[in-house]
Amino acid sequence: MTQRLANILISAFPDMLAAGFKITIPLTVLSFLFGMILALLLAIVQVANIKVLKQISQIYIWFFRGTPLLVQLFIIYFGLPSVGIVLPAFPAAVIAFGMNVAAYNAEAVRAAILAVPVGQTEAAYLIGLTYPRLMVRIVLPQAFPIAFPSLFNNLISLLKDTSLASCITIVEVMATAKQIIGWTYESLALYIEAAIIYLMFSTVLTWIQGLLEKRLGWEAKEDRPKERVKTRAEG
Amino acid sequence: MLEVRQLYKSFGSEGVLRGIDFKVDKGEVVAVLGPSGSGKTTLLRCISFLERAQQGEIIFDEMRHDMSHISKRMIRQFRMQMGFVFQTFNLFRNMTALQNVMEGLIAARKIPRQKAEEIAREMLKKVGMEDRAGYYPDQLSGGQQQRVAIARAMATNPKVILFDEPTSALDPELTGEVLDVMKKLAEEGTTMVVVTHEMGFAKEVADRVVFMEDGLIVEEAPAEEFFRNPKKERTIQFLRRVLTGADADTGA
Ligand SMILES: Nc1ncnc2c1ncn2[C@@H]1O[C@H](COP(=O)(O)OP(=O)(O)OP(=O)(O)O)[C@@H](O)[C@H]1O
Ligand SMILES: [Mg+2]
Repeated sequence: MTQRLANILISAFPDMLAAGFKITIPLTVLSFLFGMILALLLAIVQVANIKVLKQISQIYIWFFRGTPLLVQLFIIYFGLPSVGIVLPAFPAAVIAFGMNVAAYNAEAVRAAILAVPVGQTEAAYLIGLTYPRLMVRIVLPQAFPIAFPSLFNNLISLLKDTSLASCITIVEVMATAKQIIGWTYESLALYIEAAIIYLMFSTVLTWIQGLLEKRLGWEAKEDRPKERVKTRAEG
Repeated sequence: MLEVRQLYKSFGSEGVLRGIDFKVDKGEVVAVLGPSGSGKTTLLRCISFLERAQQGEIIFDEMRHDMSHISKRMIRQFRMQMGFVFQTFNLFRNMTALQNVMEGLIAARKIPRQKAEEIAREMLKKVGMEDRAGYYPDQLSGGQQQRVAIARAMATNPKVILFDEPTSALDPELTGEVLDVMKKLAEEGTTMVVVTHEMGFAKEVADRVVFMEDGLIVEEAPAEEFFRNPKKERTIQFLRRVLTGADADTGA
């Protein structure tokens, strides 16, 4: 490695890292939170079997999982202004990423809700709980640990997907790398450096995931499969 | 006190309950016996509206309603008067024993937390689980979980408790502790309907026995008479079969 290249990489590193902390991380976190709230709604209207809303939710998920994230991002940032909705780049990205991850999170949450044994739901109704209380007190607290690994996977995917924001003028890690390449022409080395930055962030996230799962005793419980998921107690 | 009349229930084309007339009086313990698939579980589930009957009438003290056309609100009112104990316990796994017992008091009956805790501890004491109040279901044995489930069913002070094979999912050495609790409840005058395969329990604790087969009540008699002098051929066969098992010495 030449001295020049070494200097470029060393001076680029703090710039990229700063872009990561200032843009990539907030973008990831905000999109994920927005996506999580939306995901809960999408999942609950499905398991609660609320007419119309259930269909809307299914169509939503079908669309957002079936089309490229980049297309969704462009529709919101470049497309919506033609119908009078003009959004600055960052909020547009939060909405696009959030709506996209919501579709994936909704599936994870829905599957987890269905994995909570029906017997508990029946027991709850029999002692007089209403549906919302049943959800909040019994089903969601048990569904969350089940969904947690999938949700966290989606979070890590989202972290990497935010690199697409560089296509709509947001200067996050990837765009920072592109800029530096613009005047140094060292694409291979700088893209690898960008990859290393993402790798650092995702490694930390994976580490946090492990920590949370352990601390809160959320590892998949060994005895869970034994429990019946059928709709009836033993016949 | 609780009565169902002309109850019909089918799953698809299969008639599972084919005209059941069933009642339990205040303070009475009724054992429901019958071979597997005869519809015992379905009967309890229809009474508690976990399954919707195609036809039937329910009469509960002064409340009376068609069982096939009934609103959620009415169902809640009926359920408020009942307790239900499942074969598989069905405790809320994210809550401690104490919280399991408190939940129905706080959520559905709006009893202040402190008072609810007081009642819940009293119930746990009744089933001999007061020293496990802070344990989660996963930390309890099957017999202990079932006793907590019984405490949960009793906490709301129901007029009748429905038990669906409360000891069938338990290891044999754990059934005794649950049956003892139920016996105690019976002695205190709790109205109970117990689906069971425990002939010893039925004989000793039940006031009346109802024998079901194929979705019908085949025979029904005071417990003592039922075991001493069964009348129907099917009942005699059934009793002969089950009593030549572990309970042979109690056979007639
Ligand atoms: N949800 C259901 N869907 C279809 N068939 C059902 C359903 N529940 C029960 N059945 C059928 O109804 C019949 C009666 O079942 P039920 O569980 O009431 O019997 P049971 O007397 O409780 O038997 P066991 O002693 O084995 O518990 C069986 O033939 C069963 O297959
Ligand atoms: Mg049964």
